[in-house]
Amino acid sequence: MFWHLFAYRLKCLLRNRGLIFWTLLFPLFMATLFHFAFGNLMTTGTFQPIKVAVVDNVAYRRDIGLQQMLSAISEPGDGQLLDLTITDPEQAAELLEERTVAGTILVSEQGVALEVKRSGLNQSVLKAVLDDYVQTASTVSQILQQNPNAAPELMAALQQRIHYTVEKNLSDAEPNIMLIMFYALIANTCLFGSSWGLKNSTDTQANLSDQGLRRSAAPTHKLRIILSDTLAALVITYSEVLILLGYLGLVLGVQLGNELGYILMIALLGSLTGVAWGTMFGTLFRQSEAVKGGIITVVNLTFSFFSGMMFADIKYIVDQAAPWFSYINPTALISDAFYSLYIFDSHERFFLNAGLLGVTAVVLSVVSYLGLRSERYASL
Amino acid sequence: MPVFKAYFKVLRAALPGIVSYMAIFLALSVVFTFAAPSSAGGQFTQSKIAMAVINRDGESPVATGLTDYLASTNKLVDLPDNPDQLQDALFFRRVEYVVIIPAGFEAGFLADDDVALERVAVPGSTSSHYVDHQVDKYLNTLRLHRQHGRTANWDELLSAVQKDLAKETPVQLQTASGTAETPGFIYYFGYLAYTLLAVVMLGISTIMLAFNKPDVQQRTACSPLSTRRVNLQLAVGHTLFAVTAWAILMAFAFIMYGKEMITSGGLGWVTLNSLAFTIVCASIGLLVGNLVRDHNTQSAAVNVLTLGMSFISGVFVPQSVLSPAVLSFAKFLPSYWYVRTHEAIHELVLSPLTNTMQIAGPLLIQLGFAAAIFAVTLLLSKERRVSMS
Repeated sequence: MFWHLFAYRLKCLLRNRGLIFWTLLFPLFMATLFHFAFGNLMTTGTFQPIKVAVVDNVAYRRDIGLQQMLSAISEPGDGQLLDLTITDPEQAAELLEERTVAGTILVSEQGVALEVKRSGLNQSVLKAVLDDYVQTASTVSQILQQNPNAAPELMAALQQRIHYTVEKNLSDAEPNIMLIMFYALIANTCLFGSSWGLKNSTDTQANLSDQGLRRSAAPTHKLRIILSDTLAALVITYSEVLILLGYLGLVLGVQLGNELGYILMIALLGSLTGVAWGTMFGTLFRQSEAVKGGIITVVNLTFSFFSGMMFADIKYIVDQAAPWFSYINPTALISDAFYSLYIFDSHERFFLNAGLLGVTAVVLSVVSYLGLRSERYASL
Repeated sequence: MPVFKAYFKVLRAALPGIVSYMAIFLALSVVFTFAAPSSAGGQFTQSKIAMAVINRDGESPVATGLTDYLASTNKLVDLPDNPDQLQDALFFRRVEYVVIIPAGFEAGFLADDDVALERVAVPGSTSSHYVDHQVDKYLNTLRLHRQHGRTANWDELLSAVQKDLAKETPVQLQTASGTAETPGFIYYFGYLAYTLLAVVMLGISTIMLAFNKPDVQQRTACSPLSTRRVNLQLAVGHTLFAVTAWAILMAFAFIMYGKEMITSGGLGWVTLNSLAFTIVCASIGLLVGNLVRDHNTQSAAVNVLTLGMSFISGVFVPQSVLSPAVLSFAKFLPSYWYVRTHEAIHELVLSPLTNTMQIAGPLLIQLGFAAAIFAVTLLLSKERRVSMS
């Protein structure tokens, strides 16, 4: 009997083309758009040597030290910082105007100067390199004042510049903030399960729909109807989330981490939360299905906004400013679970998220069951 | 004017959607305008990288000196020595660079051992090269003074280093006669494409959906009003609606950025560009209103078209970060040409010597799109009238 009810509920729900569109096709569409829009931002750009023009004049040719320094850091290879163009003043001005070069180095009687069109990071690197040159000159003059005999060793010591930093990785995962938007989209899709839950609650209550009236009059036990309906909604939502995950991971190449078991688990908990949330909302209020659907959509989108679906930084801002909100926001719990699977080696934070999500799902389910169970009708 | 009067009654159904699109857009514009960093005009400002120093070497002079120097050249963020929190802050770009001073660094440094600081940053990024350079500069200067100078104590040593590193190269910031920084209204009109598209499309398609219902259409057909008059009144309604929506958004632009818009010389062009795009939106709204049969399909079509066109044409992210394949597809969408026009206006505002043909060209292409979409819509509705009668 149970499986009979379940199978027909499944068929019934799957015929709802509108809901299939919003809960399955729309997330796939958004994933595709995210991919097209942020695909190029996903690959972190490697450092490109900074293009700079040097005005070739008498003062520059006389400044052997500067020439040596500049040519040392524009040597092709790993340590290359600059890409030099040594040219006449007119062409240098033109290159700067076209923004082909980040800046122009001009040597005159007063010393070395830099001309730029804007204040940016590349310009700051250029300035730092030139600062280095005048600062080293200052170091040499200070030392020679104190210790004139140091000259020969000092000149030798200047040649060897020690690198004092070594690369360290906190984990193998590449930090990529765009991932947050994809994770929030997965979370949002889980919560879209609420549409199916809402549909269920409308169709089981006699005061909300004709189907509800008919089913309430039938001798089937209420609990059996609720369970089979919920299972059908859960199966649909979970399948939709899995299709989305497959599409993201296999087709679009979004990094989801390697632990398939945990991914499947959090997707299931998320789907259950979504379905339970829709069922509860549909049970507790008597407005028309359209009104409740609208409210649920707005609430879901607000949750998704605060977990970074439209603007990834918002997730960090909320986590810092009001961490309690991230603990009660189911979308934030789901997307943070994906994030912590991807980035952290330990599973502490993942289980915290999964646990809180499990609690949310249980509370929502219990409330909606109590709501549905207590419905009694004086007459039908 | 019965049709014209009915127009605004039907429009009320779409009002909640229209108002919420506008309200969210305006609220976000206000937030982003006030949150935008104010730029120092005319002066070169050196980039400061958000970074953290994790000191595991205690209160050693080397560590303190280095931290003070980095604090003066960058923006130091206080983070605890906890890998998860560091990871979090790096992922969300709260800091771009973390330098860890390991225990025993000073002892090793003073003994001229091979010592190194640990650096966690986005590998190969410009900011990581930039801070690396500063760290190396500080420690190398300190090393030279210590090995070859005659300074008596730590205080003198550190102040000698400080004196060296205070030396700067003069930087001249050349600005053209235009504005150096992008003014706020450029962002406003950039995102405006999404809102205009959503609002105008939603409104017009709602009307057409109502008037195209077979029953309503048959009843209008047998009324004494000629088809021409019905269509004329509808057209006046559409024009009035679209222009009002556009005018409201323009009015808010004036309230927020009025002065900038006039002084930058971009006012005329952004007005023309947004008006041209309003016509495009109206044509798409008509087409959608003629194709869909119910509200569910309508809202699906409106959402898919507005989001799809906005993402792919560079409304939400700049066209410069979209891949060439996406862009060559986007050229078939009118929103692509709105963005192109808008970027040319942006150029013009930054340097007034920009050729205005670069603005006029894509602007005319938008009108071409509008004309083509109108033609298709007229053809479709004619075909339907014929098949119905």
